[in-house]
Amino acid sequence: MNCELYKSEMYAWRPGSDAVSFQPLFDHLARCPECAQFFERLTTSDQRIQRTFQEIPEDRSLESRILAGLAHQRAQTKTHRPRWKSWILLPLAAAVILVVTLGVMPRLEEARVGKEVAALLNQPPGLQIDSTNRQQILDWCASVFSGPSSLPPELNKVEFRGATAVEVADHKAVLLKMKNEQRASLLIVDAHLTRESGFKSMHEKSGSAALWSDGRRTYVLLYQGSAQEMHAYMVQMGIEA
Amino acid sequence: MQISDHTFDDWVRQYQRLLFGIAYWWTGSRTDAEELTQEAFFQAYRSSSTLREVEAVKGWLIGILRHCYAQMSRKSNRRAEVPLDGMENEPEEQDMLSADVLALHQSLAKLDDRHRLPLVMFYFQQLSYQEISEALELPIGTVMSRLSRARKMLHETLETPRNLIVMRKAKQR
Repeated sequence: MNCELYKSEMYAWRPGSDAVSFQPLFDHLARCPECAQFFERLTTSDQRIQRTFQEIPEDRSLESRILAGLAHQRAQTKTHRPRWKSWILLPLAAAVILVVTLGVMPRLEEARVGKEVAALLNQPPGLQIDSTNRQQILDWCASVFSGPSSLPPELNKVEFRGATAVEVADHKAVLLKMKNEQRASLLIVDAHLTRESGFKSMHEKSGSAALWSDGRRTYVLLYQGSAQEMHAYMVQMGIEA
Repeated sequence: MQISDHTFDDWVRQYQRLLFGIAYWWTGSRTDAEELTQEAFFQAYRSSSTLREVEAVKGWLIGILRHCYAQMSRKSNRRAEVPLDGMENEPEEQDMLSADVLALHQSLAKLDDRHRLPLVMFYFQQLSYQEISEALELPIGTVMSRLSRARKMLHETLETPRNLIVMRKAKQR
């Protein structure tokens, strides 16, 4: 390697550089006085350049100007935040309203159903049929609902002794009296209702209820007695295993 | 990363001089350097979530300063508008610079950004190759070769006879 190439190497060197990589350079400097002198001049010049770089103008107010600018930026952010938040809150508020509506409305509806059925059970029926013929009873129910009436498979073995037409919260309904069990009755509502607890409370304070639904109608087995007694009755009638 | 206002203000106190110095030698203008330093801190504050770890804050700030410098350069090529070699001697009472400083400004003005930027970081703050590489988003090998060439050019320029001139501000406040 000639001296020119070693001089190029000198520009790549800096204090703290990897000693092994630059060993050939230092070996050459030990042998070549001209390059050694050049390297010394370069190092001295480098130190002077470095000192010169430290000569920068004093600006004592810059720091406070930056901090003031930041404070202004923060204040603006805070001012704009409510506007930004309002955009975020709008769909959130809509979602909350939707959830509340979906969650509360069915409960209100069921509470209304409960009150009305409780009132109905204490009043003489407006339209009723006394019959022990199951098919006749079901045909009568179909006429009340203005459509075919069938029972869930679980209730296939149940027999009736009469039925009463009622109305539950604007929905058509019939209340069927069970043939062999005074304490049991079946309420068929022409609507899809989901909560069983409402029927329990509406029927009797100590009453029990079991609920089925085919998505179009709701079938509620009302029982004047405890859950255990109702369970025994359901097992007896083959409703429950 | 979530940075508290208090911590960020501390960084301003700690690093404003560093950023100003780098910007000063990059631009050759005190006014531009002030503007760049402020803008860099404002942008850093707005994008503080991009800082990966607190230990890397210095390189991160210098990286943002470089972006601001690039934006400023795109808007107006101020150095080209005020070529140092062609300037007349116009003493400015507020900026009486030493001969070495003037010579250095003239020499830096002759370098392009690819060489001037790492050179300033190398001499002014003695940043490591790694730090320069991260701040400029360049491979370390590229930084080393550019620095080597830039140092050679700087030394050669500084050795030529000096025309002592007083720098005119590229942009008056």
